Amino acid sequence: MRRLPIAAMAAFAVLAFAYPHLVDAYWRTVGTLAIFYAIVAASWALLVGYAGQFSFGQMGFVSLGAYGSALLVQWLAIPFPIGMVAAVLVCTVVGAGIGFVCLRMRGPYLAIFTMAFSEVLRIVILTENEVTGGAGGLEVAPLFHSRTVFPYYYLALALLAGSLGLMGMMVASRWGLFFRAIRENEQAAAAAGVKVVRFRILVFAIGSGVAGLAGTFYAPFIGILTPDIGSVDQMGEVVAMAVIGGAESLPAAVLGAFFVEALFEALRAYGEWRLVIFGGLLLLTMRFARNGLLALAWEQVLRLGPVLQRARSIGRPAES
Amino acid sequence: MLDYILVQALNGLVIGVIYAVIATGLTVIFSILKIVNFAHGEVYMMGGYFAYFVIALLGLPPLLAVLVAMLLSFALSVLFERTLLTPLYSPTTERKGDYGILVTFGISILLRNLAIIVFGPFPLRPPSFFEGSLVVGNFVMSWDRVFAAGAGVVLLVGLLAFLSRSAWGQALNAVSQSRESAAIVGINDRLVYTLAFGLGGGLAGGAGALVGPIYALSPSMGLVPDTQAFVIVVLGGMGSVGGSIIAGLLIGVSEGLFVALFPDPTRSLAYAQAFSLLVLMGVLLVRPTGFFGRVHVAME
Repeated sequence: MRRLPIAAMAAFAVLAFAYPHLVDAYWRTVGTLAIFYAIVAASWALLVGYAGQFSFGQMGFVSLGAYGSALLVQWLAIPFPIGMVAAVLVCTVVGAGIGFVCLRMRGPYLAIFTMAFSEVLRIVILTENEVTGGAGGLEVAPLFHSRTVFPYYYLALALLAGSLGLMGMMVASRWGLFFRAIRENEQAAAAAGVKVVRFRILVFAIGSGVAGLAGTFYAPFIGILTPDIGSVDQMGEVVAMAVIGGAESLPAAVLGAFFVEALFEALRAYGEWRLVIFGGLLLLTMRFARNGLLALAWEQVLRLGPVLQRARSIGRPAES
Repeated sequence: MLDYILVQALNGLVIGVIYAVIATGLTVIFSILKIVNFAHGEVYMMGGYFAYFVIALLGLPPLLAVLVAMLLSFALSVLFERTLLTPLYSPTTERKGDYGILVTFGISILLRNLAIIVFGPFPLRPPSFFEGSLVVGNFVMSWDRVFAAGAGVVLLVGLLAFLSRSAWGQALNAVSQSRESAAIVGINDRLVYTLAFGLGGGLAGGAGALVGPIYALSPSMGLVPDTQAFVIVVLGGMGSVGGSIIAGLLIGVSEGLFVALFPDPTRSLAYAQAFSLLVLMGVLLVRPTGFFGRVHVAME
């Protein structure tokens, strides 16, 4: 049971390192974008899949991180990494703040509140065009002098590995159990001694910080920021990625992001039908394979070996 | 200046009636199925387009078109309910609230993007119900707005009468209070769920059809009323129809006044949307059960 994920992870890491050398420039850019979405989808999976804190504000935090870092670098003329750290800190603090004020809310209330937060943010960015460039966009200086995507790709990969490592360690520890206990039943978790308040704020802070981190990378990579990055449709794309992959597991959410982004590019000829397809795919996944298509496929793989199946039946959680 | 404020307040009142119609639909769905319908704004959008195409293709008179749009929205909602929401009634489904959020959110993405393809991204404007404007002194309001408000009031009164007087309305009320007890007295709860989801969708579609001639139709027109309806439903207390009506009028008028009184006119329209969202966040923070809430409903 333990062996297989480690082997899979190693194979995956090798593939990820080799990927930009195997494809052309276009698919390199797509790959980089896919990693960006993978970070966001994983942070959403941490919040929603593990801790059950329903948030539709993840892309709001991405745009907060993106605009925050870009504007900080512009105004204060600080080097980019400092702006990046500062913006991530801002996102973490704002996320913790939202986690704190939302302590009384659950389920749809929380979803509506976070959706309202990210819409307000989008409207402010759109309207205050003297500062943010409004709908015309905000130009962000490139991070590297190189003309190719290679440095961006490896930076994105490093950020993905770092944030996945951080979140993976969290969910593999006792904290992960606390999160899931909160998800299943808050009162029962509190009665069993889980510090519900502390962990709800913590998971919001970490989830928002990671989303903000993805945003700070997105800004110089894409070169021109528009308020659309925080729109409901963008959020829908991230939700589709995480749910199709499997929102209750970080690696599944990441693979879901890769899968959806690849499909998105493969279907480029179909233009606007793509979001319809993803909406439909999201609905079908929810209806028939709630733990995600990848989790479903993973279970099939595990069924292949009777040994593995016995290991599974001992009662270890299917993915951790 | 005072005239301008008055006109904005009255315009706000008209929109408030429309908001109230949308929000009562959301409330009916919430109180029966115990889910928040994130696709409600998109059904409203579809209602507007249904009316447009019924007028453009079949040549029906606008009044009849509103009714047909409501029926079609009802049918669309029933279709979604029958195909996608059935796991909500199964005891084996875990965390039904989350399921409801994600599925309705998926429906909203599907419908909005489908509308962009089928109807085109450009705004369409259906013909007026009545040409011209109502003029009283130096106060002017288009007949369309007057008609939309009037029809909205008729819909609301009709809904209240339906809920309190008819057997179906009482069945809805019974299921909203207790599924089990309603089943014991012989109410077919499956049918009631379908009816509630369809009724909510029909109301949203009717509102969309009424709004068509006032604002143009566009695929993204549901986004703002969607959040507005949430504000109203939360403000009015989830599950309270009367509260939703009062809160709808309140939000409409205060939004009109906000546009009139905001110091920077170039930004007032943009911030009018943010305004109601901020009201929503404030209400959720201060009183998550709303100001007219009849019961505190657990969100699970």
